[in-house]
Amino acid sequence: MSIKFSEDKIAEVSKIITRYPEGKQKSALLPVLHLAQTTFDGWLDVPVMDYVATLLNIEPIEVYEVASFYSMFNLKPVGKYVFEVCHTGPCMINGSDNITDYIKQKLNIKVGETTADKMFTLKTVECLGACGYAPMMQLGQHYREHLTKEKVDAIIEECRNATIRNN
Amino acid sequence: MSKKLLLAKAHVPGIRTYEVYRHEGGYTSVEKALKMTTDEVVEEVKKSGLRGRGGAGFPTGMKWSFIAKPEGVPRHLVVNADESEPGTFKDRYLMEFIPHLLIEGMIVSSYALGSNVSYIYIRGEYAWITNILEQAIDEAKANGWLGKNIQGSGFDCEIYVQRGGGAYICGEETALIESLEGKRGNPRIKPPFPAVKGVWERPTVVNNVESIAAVVPIINEGGEEYAKIGIGRSTGTKLISACGNINKPGIYEIDMTISVEEFIYSDEYCGGIANGKKLKACIPGGSSVPILPANLLLTTAKGEKRLMNYESLSDGGFATGSMMGSGGFIVLDEDQCIVRNTYTLARFYRHESCGQCSPCREGTGWMEKILQKIETGKGEMSDIDLLWDIQRKIEGNTICPLGDAAAWPVAAAIRHFRDEFEWHVNNPTLCLTENYGLRHYADKIHVPV
Repeated sequence: MSIKFSEDKIAEVSKIITRYPEGKQKSALLPVLHLAQTTFDGWLDVPVMDYVATLLNIEPIEVYEVASFYSMFNLKPVGKYVFEVCHTGPCMINGSDNITDYIKQKLNIKVGETTADKMFTLKTVECLGACGYAPMMQLGQHYREHLTKEKVDAIIEECRNATIRNN
Repeated sequence: MSKKLLLAKAHVPGIRTYEVYRHEGGYTSVEKALKMTTDEVVEEVKKSGLRGRGGAGFPTGMKWSFIAKPEGVPRHLVVNADESEPGTFKDRYLMEFIPHLLIEGMIVSSYALGSNVSYIYIRGEYAWITNILEQAIDEAKANGWLGKNIQGSGFDCEIYVQRGGGAYICGEETALIESLEGKRGNPRIKPPFPAVKGVWERPTVVNNVESIAAVVPIINEGGEEYAKIGIGRSTGTKLISACGNINKPGIYEIDMTISVEEFIYSDEYCGGIANGKKLKACIPGGSSVPILPANLLLTTAKGEKRLMNYESLSDGGFATGSMMGSGGFIVLDEDQCIVRNTYTLARFYRHESCGQCSPCREGTGWMEKILQKIETGKGEMSDIDLLWDIQRKIEGNTICPLGDAAAWPVAAAIRHFRDEFEWHVNNPTLCLTENYGLRHYADKIHVPV
């Protein structure tokens, strides 16, 4: 498969590069990796990272080392919807483990796994800065807060009916 | 009721838009600052006594005065919106609900520092807030507050938002700079300090979101007026993000004269402990500051009421005190297990260690494993001393403060709750189904009237 951004996205990359001084286009790496991940099925395959390296005129290794450092970049395929449940102290105090257990049971997967129909991936993540609204999870570009079992049911239903955006 | 300087207008309908924000008096500090010299603006911030709101509490005005000004080399202001310290979610609130306040503060600060291109480095997970900020920047630019020759002053300024990729370490200023350059977030060895060689080797000032927002009231009301609010070296107002087992979690703007007791139990703030439970412990300034048992939280070792400010929270040092930190206020009720809580925090720091320095890379992993062992009933008595030994060997032995941040919560938990750790070791089966609760702390636990 050929990996290439659309014209619009190429233009967006060029615009991002203008934010930095001339010759410092490597600074665009994180924003461009976000763009690439959203564009290419929610994860960064090696050919995708190589493509990003070409776009920014840097070595592929410079992309790999960054993509593997930051927790938001997926280096393996993920489901269409990724549930990232926070499990750090303040969320744990407010019962995040129960939420994770409920999702595991409901989707019949373990943490880190994807459902057979490739719809859902479950992850546990460290603090997302929503401690006062715990328990919570990230779903795509947004946070889902004050989670209860009922809310989890509704979110899964919402995803199945595809009324919300992918990552 | 505390005076509100940052959130006074946060509930005005439509305050997120330029029109309403401007109508409510927004951008007047820019008008005022552009008529002053840059040195005068820096001087006002110095007079205000404003201390960095990200956690370290370093005086902002002094930080600004360190910026090097080599001929012909551009300088940059970078706002640290990487908010990732567990318990902290205040900057998010400011940016989400009153984004123009940050943009206004950035224009004034950029002018003072001579930064023609400034950046907001925001944690990658705050994706929707990036859109809110970019919208605010576009509006400010359309109305002549950004771009070339702002308000006819001759000062040019652009602001860009950079999304991180999910890494706590990028809240450390040199790691943030590395990340902004498109690299892994490995902290740099200082010196050189960012004020001399920061992003792209140019003089750079990195300030927290709340610190930059506070520049707006400082310029509007004057540094001296600002300094009249608060007490001692804790001037102005502070945003506290309160969470855990309380009735009213959320963001509170306080002047730093109120007591911890009032903050927890008053209906104006946290509204007391949830579900009628008793207070057991609290981490008052974000996960890395020492946890305190209820008695030491409410009263200092000298028997004075503890106040919500830099000096009072740290009264007694680490032996009996804690820190103001980032203002992430985490409350634990009588049902919470200190071992379990400490374990999740240790896991957090292991996950977030960048891996450059051996004491942190290896030590955080060891601490996590030992705490997990004790938590799951497999601990031995010697593990408690081993934990103590490891944290001591991390603290102060790393390039950046993440090592300290990982060591302190473990040290404080053992210091104040050693018997709970011992109980876990002595009751390997019981500890799986039952919590230690208050036990002998009960007589030290404060019951509000």
